[in-house]
Amino acid sequence: MNQMPTRPFTTGPAPLTRRALAKQQTRQRLLAAAKQLVTERGYEAATVRDIAAAADLSTGAVFASFSDKAELFNEVIIADYAALLERMNSVAAGENSTHATLRKLLALAYEFHAGELPLVQAVIGFSWQRDAAIERRNREGVTLILARLSEVLRGGVESGELAPTLDIDLIAEMLWDSYVANYRRAIFDGWDLEALGDRIANQIDVLLDGYQNAA
Amino acid sequence: MVLGVRAARKQATRDRVLAVARELFQDVGYEETTIRMVAKGAGVSVGSVFTTFSGKAEILSQVMDDRLDTLYAELDRVIPHLRGPTVDRLRSVMAVHYGFEMRRPRMFLAYIGASFAWSPGKVIPVGRNARLQGMLRDILVAGVESQEVRPDADQQTFIDVMLASYFWNYRLASQQGLDAEALIAVMDRQIGLLFDGVAAR
Repeated sequence: MNQMPTRPFTTGPAPLTRRALAKQQTRQRLLAAAKQLVTERGYEAATVRDIAAAADLSTGAVFASFSDKAELFNEVIIADYAALLERMNSVAAGENSTHATLRKLLALAYEFHAGELPLVQAVIGFSWQRDAAIERRNREGVTLILARLSEVLRGGVESGELAPTLDIDLIAEMLWDSYVANYRRAIFDGWDLEALGDRIANQIDVLLDGYQNAA
Repeated sequence: MVLGVRAARKQATRDRVLAVARELFQDVGYEETTIRMVAKGAGVSVGSVFTTFSGKAEILSQVMDDRLDTLYAELDRVIPHLRGPTVDRLRSVMAVHYGFEMRRPRMFLAYIGASFAWSPGKVIPVGRNARLQGMLRDILVAGVESQEVRPDADQQTFIDVMLASYFWNYRLASQQGLDAEALIAVMDRQIGLLFDGVAAR
């Protein structure tokens, strides 16, 4: 009589082949090197050659993983948004109002980028200048954060704190517009985290003021 | 005062360089335009461009400054004729801006992008235009007088938030190909929403 096979079914992703693993490691190294060099020198001055050298790889290895510098940097940005979202999700809400939760999340975002303002500067400058395909991919990163902000606003509407007439997605976008615009104050005027946090708090006030139900 | 021959020639070179650069920034793109291309188009040497400007960023900055005369002339024509509710006056001022800037959208997008790369102190960053801020504040103050706007409304934050969205909406032009009309429609909604927060109840 035949034995039933005893080996259990494997679950989860198949283990990477050695080659695929090496490729992924190369990619990670390039992303880290690109992030560091752009933070130090700015986007234009960080050349593909220098990025490859910093990652201890050949220039050809860069183009085996990314179509060009723009795509490489865009992937740096997307990884950064994903990491920020993870941070946002790891803080328990625990605040007693929508306003306070939004403030906490955006203050966290400022804190997250505090040590790397030149990178933020490069990211914002970059976002205006690239072609439509890159721009759309870049948008995917921002969309993650916008969805998080919308979720908080939706919670406020559901709990009756905010009026149901509030246009959730429009407010989330405008909140993000103000959040990004405030970086100018940090970059050009040396504003610190506290000043940025106070400013975004005022902006949240103005944005939500027309939709606040009486407590 | 009569300019010396030398000064007059320098001024003429400067004007030609700016005119050529303005066309190239819009038609070819800011990133793609080189000083060499500008010099060639203006019929001068690369060296003489650099005796007048420190680089491409300064040329862009000057081109954008020069455009303000035309923009303000347009606003000066429109503003005295604004009627109707405060919220619509705000919308009209911003609509004039979109109509104006979207005549050269590529250049304007490059300007916003480059403004983040400029070193502090060299150029006034986009959005700190005192004249635009003043115009918006005048409208809000008039709105308080007509009892449409709450006297204790945070006017400065209102203006900041409005301008942040105003600039960021230009993304929609580059990403989704929205034209001036479509941008004005988005801004109209945003101003409506913001105004709900400062409206007298």
